[in-house]
Amino acid sequence: MRVSELVNEDASLVSRRCWSDAGVYELEKRGIFRRAWLFLGHESQIRNPGDFVQAYMCETPVILARGMDGGLHASVNSCTHRGLPVCRADHGNTKRFICPYHNWSYSVEGNLVTIPQESAVANKPDKAVLGLKQVPRVASWRGMVFGCFDENVESLEDYLGDMRFYLDAFFERFPGGIEFLGAPHRWVINANWKLPVENQLGDVNHGAFLHSAIIPREAQDLIEELGFSAVTRAGHGATFRLMPQGAPVDEVAWGMEGMGGMFGGAEVQEYLREIQSHAAERVGDIRARMKGLTYGIYPNLSFLWSNTSFKVSHPRGPGKVEYWSWAVVPADAPDSIKRVLRTNYSSFFGPAGILEQEDSEVWVQQFQGSNIDFADDRPYYYGLGLGEEAPHPELPGLVSVTANEFYARHFFRRWRDELQAVEGQS
Amino acid sequence: MNGPSLEATPQQQRALERFYYYEARLLDNRQYQQWLALVSPEIRYLMPSRVNVMVDNRARGKEEMISVDRELEGPDSLGCPIREEGYIHLMVRAERAFKINSWSENPPARTRRIVGNVELVGQRGEELSVLSNFHLYYARPGGESCVYSGQRRDVLSPAEQGYTIEKREVIMDYANIEVPTLGLLF
Ligand code: FES
Ligand SMILES: [Fe+2]
Repeated sequence: MRVSELVNEDASLVSRRCWSDAGVYELEKRGIFRRAWLFLGHESQIRNPGDFVQAYMCETPVILARGMDGGLHASVNSCTHRGLPVCRADHGNTKRFICPYHNWSYSVEGNLVTIPQESAVANKPDKAVLGLKQVPRVASWRGMVFGCFDENVESLEDYLGDMRFYLDAFFERFPGGIEFLGAPHRWVINANWKLPVENQLGDVNHGAFLHSAIIPREAQDLIEELGFSAVTRAGHGATFRLMPQGAPVDEVAWGMEGMGGMFGGAEVQEYLREIQSHAAERVGDIRARMKGLTYGIYPNLSFLWSNTSFKVSHPRGPGKVEYWSWAVVPADAPDSIKRVLRTNYSSFFGPAGILEQEDSEVWVQQFQGSNIDFADDRPYYYGLGLGEEAPHPELPGLVSVTANEFYARHFFRRWRDELQAVEGQS
Repeated sequence: MNGPSLEATPQQQRALERFYYYEARLLDNRQYQQWLALVSPEIRYLMPSRVNVMVDNRARGKEEMISVDRELEGPDSLGCPIREEGYIHLMVRAERAFKINSWSENPPARTRRIVGNVELVGQRGEELSVLSNFHLYYARPGGESCVYSGQRRDVLSPAEQGYTIEKREVIMDYANIEVPTLGLLF
């Protein structure tokens, strides 16, 4: 099977095999995950020297740590001696990672410090070259830390490009930026990694249907009326509502529409109004009126603004994903308010989420449908709104109504081109 | 919870078990509206998230080193519990099952709960603190079946139907979450 047979020219047709074929998955690893900036964690999780969190780059386990030098270090969590993970905790603070098998020990930056058996042999190994494999590029923007296995990758800023405009509409709203709360919720879904990504990249249109038992029709009508979908570069996208000038603060303010915002009491609501009252001076008029829905950052990072959560879809083969998500809150909010606002996320999303339950089930069923026989002449139809996206005077990227599936077509064009670039190489 | 349970009277123990069996039967029979009547409008329904923590060297050799509670990111933490719900959440979950467009309940899962190890561990005025364990078999058409295992830490108050659930904290025994959802009524 050739990659050119999987996605047609304008990506309005996408083969079932894109989702289920083991060979395609191997190409994704080489063509995408070995070359792209991948999200590792947030600096708020590793404030002090010695702090670390676990991460993954595709299926490769990585430790993201704050070094004793204060810098960011990403090391592959696999001992140079026989390959065991040297760190088992989800997060913590340490001076050394000690491998269980023969107790080789590594600094938090990933350097090999001791080989206990060394004193018994005459030829001393060169410890300087036996440290944990380092992720060659690590960079941080607004506290969001990314790593890349390709030394020659473009800068993280360039990679994010105009997505920064949309991300800043959120990050820059808060004087102290944002903070990730606790260890990520992580759970396994028998689905392909790309469907959670596509869902968060721009598919707000399933809301009125799949979630119709929960999301009232009027809420969905408002999304359709005020909603925009933007693609700043193939694979990156944002969906949001642009509230009318002069809309009441309670309708515009971030956080108000979540369960915590609605039922968390007057103190929280006052706090949210206060943030909104400074939004225009902090992010400008148009972004102050933005009320985000879902964002996607290629290849597998998602941001669900409406329920304030970052998520990563970690592949585990064509038919399995380990989905990670974090609640995100303003860093300088009082603790009591952070505790209320995190329920904006956990009420509807995460492993027990009322809506997530409906999403993850259809992701599983989509994989099953992608794995059936005798239907390869029925690729999936991605043609809704074909060619209807256009530049916008005030918003970066190509912009359209939310029903236009151009966000997914752009994703699959980039995906196809990146797979083609490594096809036939080994 | 440390030490043995309180010495409940046989009637008290029987009343607690009778209540929990009734509750399990309502849930397995999908009588969620009747189940909601067992729940206080002020209920706190909690599920901490469970984390792989670093060993604390100073606790070496002591039971606290490996205590379950160290693994929990609960409501007082600045982590993120999996569930921190009130009556409204439970109502949304219960009511959803009765809507024909509720796709994650259609067709509904077949469940069977076994509740046991019921221990009265505290009493404050009329309010009782009660522990119980559960195993829940879950089979959903179109998906794989699975078993949920956990502990419930309840606060109950006396009521006509036996008791009212004022607070429930569910400690799930997961290492990796490989079940379809933790959003059931446990
Ligand atoms: S495998 Fe790590 S020390 Fe031997
Ligand atoms: Fe959804």
